[in-house]
Amino acid sequence: MTTKGLEFAGHELSRATLDACVKCTICETACPVSAVTPLFSGPKFVGPQAERFRNGESVDHSLDYCSSCGACTLACPQGVQIAELNSQARAVMKADHMPVRDQLITRTTLMGMMMTPVAPLANAALHNKPIRAIVEKVIGIHRDAPMPPAQTQTLQGWLKKRKAPTRKATRGPVVFFHGCAGGYFEVETSKKSIEVLEYLGYEVIVPKQGCCGLAQQSNGLFDQASAAVLKLCDELRSGGKDLTIISSSGSCTGMLKHEAHEIMGVSDDRLKDVGTRIRDMMEFLLDLHDAGELPTDFQAIDMTVPYHAPCQLKSQGMGQPAVEVLKLIPGLTVVESGAVCCGIAGTYGLKKEKYEVAQAVGKPLFDMVKRTNPDLALCDTETCRWQIEQSSGVKTEHPVWMVHRAYGLS
Amino acid sequence: MSRVVVIGAGLAGLTAATRLAAGGASVTLLSKGIGGLQLGQGTIDVLGYTPDRVTNPVLTLAAIASSRPEHPYAAIGAAGVHAGIEYLKGLLGPELLVGDAETNYQLPTAVGAIRPTCLVSPSMVAGHLKADAKLVIVGLRRLKDFQPKLVAQNLARTTLPDGGNVTVRYLSIDVPARDGEVDSSGLTYARAFDDPAFRVGFADTLRPLLAEGETVGLPAVLGLKDLTAWSDVADKLGHPVFEIPLPPPSVPGMRLNAALLAKARAAGVRLVPGSRTVAFRASDGAIVGVTIETAGAPREFTADAFLLAAGGFESGALEMDSHGAVSETLFGLPLAGLDAGPLVHGDYWGAEQPLFKVGVRVAGDMRVLDGAGAIVHPNLYAAGGIIGGSSRWAEKSGDGIALGSAVLAADSILKELA
Repeated sequence: MTTKGLEFAGHELSRATLDACVKCTICETACPVSAVTPLFSGPKFVGPQAERFRNGESVDHSLDYCSSCGACTLACPQGVQIAELNSQARAVMKADHMPVRDQLITRTTLMGMMMTPVAPLANAALHNKPIRAIVEKVIGIHRDAPMPPAQTQTLQGWLKKRKAPTRKATRGPVVFFHGCAGGYFEVETSKKSIEVLEYLGYEVIVPKQGCCGLAQQSNGLFDQASAAVLKLCDELRSGGKDLTIISSSGSCTGMLKHEAHEIMGVSDDRLKDVGTRIRDMMEFLLDLHDAGELPTDFQAIDMTVPYHAPCQLKSQGMGQPAVEVLKLIPGLTVVESGAVCCGIAGTYGLKKEKYEVAQAVGKPLFDMVKRTNPDLALCDTETCRWQIEQSSGVKTEHPVWMVHRAYGLS
Repeated sequence: MSRVVVIGAGLAGLTAATRLAAGGASVTLLSKGIGGLQLGQGTIDVLGYTPDRVTNPVLTLAAIASSRPEHPYAAIGAAGVHAGIEYLKGLLGPELLVGDAETNYQLPTAVGAIRPTCLVSPSMVAGHLKADAKLVIVGLRRLKDFQPKLVAQNLARTTLPDGGNVTVRYLSIDVPARDGEVDSSGLTYARAFDDPAFRVGFADTLRPLLAEGETVGLPAVLGLKDLTAWSDVADKLGHPVFEIPLPPPSVPGMRLNAALLAKARAAGVRLVPGSRTVAFRASDGAIVGVTIETAGAPREFTADAFLLAAGGFESGALEMDSHGAVSETLFGLPLAGLDAGPLVHGDYWGAEQPLFKVGVRVAGDMRVLDGAGAIVHPNLYAAGGIIGGSSRWAEKSGDGIALGSAVLAADSILKELA
């Protein structure tokens, strides 16, 4: 029953931070889940507190209600890896009774491959109430949960068919990591990211690539996730040695930067190589600006727009680079959501038994978005955009769309 | 635009960052996590004990400043503390802080002691103890961090600082914060009190139990976001009420922290939380950049000036190893107070531990000094708990030191970079 990932779980890295907990409760105040439901007793109780009593088996099943948003780890002033400890303990807890649902919803690449050729049909099915009711009953995915919109063309399909970029690559090559969502569902965000990079003078290399395994990781399937993340590292490394890797898939970037290592204990030079080279798209643009290398001849966009920094982006400890970059666009007023999490937390909010919790977590954000601009919101990660769109009815784009527009590319 | 990096998101860091940004600097604030401000009681201590109980903090600290050159107040001065207090009051407004530097309030604590403090939440003012007051301390059965019997009986047996006693009784009521929970935190209650409907139910339960002329002491959970919740409760009860701060999660501390963070954000401070600052780079003695240990690759932030507001031992900015050697963990700065004999003695309830006075020494412009009084790095400033020379927790001087040094450091940096 125990596997390499699970033997690690609850031991090395995160476990070592346990003793730094001074029980100050700052994590409790940051948790968006315990704020809306007594079903989760809070990160301190379930994390550093309960961890001391765990010997393999979990002492507290409310653990499964942790959404792994990482707000607790981000808030901890003592460096305790609370969310990581909880993710590990949950993997151990679920190991011998992994729900079929949790195995299915983590197969993101497979979903994309199957849905793209039959996109209109797939979309119709996802919006069909009787079908969704059956799916909820049989599989456990809530009937109202947001689902990715199937596209008629994959990113690789677009890359093959499009005209070669006309602008000369004066700044050298970079590698683009699109993630499953950016390859199959959020194709437009990937295209716009690539076009912005090319506009800036980069040659964009897009190697054939699979899934980072994040969804499997967050559902406790550490073996599959570890294999997926290392396969991806090989693929990204094939794009070129020492090149900067850029991604507009915020949460997948986090998987490569720290989660695969810190949560699953993947200790591999290939992961380290990719993890230290990868940059979030908006982070990369801000780095350029800080170095005085970002053209700021932006066209004005007269608009007030709400922006939500996803939990898994914030947990990377880089602040909110999108806010700083968007500030450079004349006429554009960006209002930060101030919300910890939209509730979806990857696949958490899809699940029948967690749906109501996830909606309650996201409610202040949905209200804020509607209040600020009923037509458009910005957010860096895919599942969060689907959640915000579905629950607020407001179209939600990646912030790179604004940059693309302001450079006159759309 | 001149660039400043502030390290630390406690009272000193947030205040200085906001003042710097408002003064035209481009400010990046680096922090490991949420700062210590929200662990506090939502009050501002300037000077509480010398060890005698202090009634006029600013007058007493002026005396300390002239008689104890190693004390942070010697560098900051009464004028610096005044400036800090006025700046914070102006930023946060009377919905969050009232009071002035000339007077200490004497407020009941959650164990029924009487604590001197300078600026307080308006929701605490009715708790300022006066002889012959008639109090009732009210607990919530499902909130275990507040024991009204303990508070009431300790207050009843205590002679007030100005003489006299209070008349005090206690009672508990059961109003659940949310269904299905028998043991709720103060934070859960505070969120419940944000809901006007919950306040109606609470007031309806409590009102019949109150006697004519009583002032009602309640745990400090009367609303997290709604700053009028406490006065609404008072209106509904028809009695004056006051909040008594609890151990963390301290709701009044969270209110201050949230408000100050919002001010920093609104002033344009770039916040980078969640990573420890671990290294620095200097050239010709000046600091060029600091590096954070963040997800993926380490990241350097360069700037024209740097403000160290990372706190002391409690936050890891100061460290003592198993050999008893003390160090400042980021810049390796020279520390004052190491030569005071054994830094820790075994008489834990006796004399002050010299260890707690260890910290950096600063000039009047808050630049860090070495043992000989020379400036260590021309563009490195310090504020708050990293400054040595006082037992802040025993004196209750930590907030005054943080505010005074933050405002002076910010103004020096703005002047230097102008």
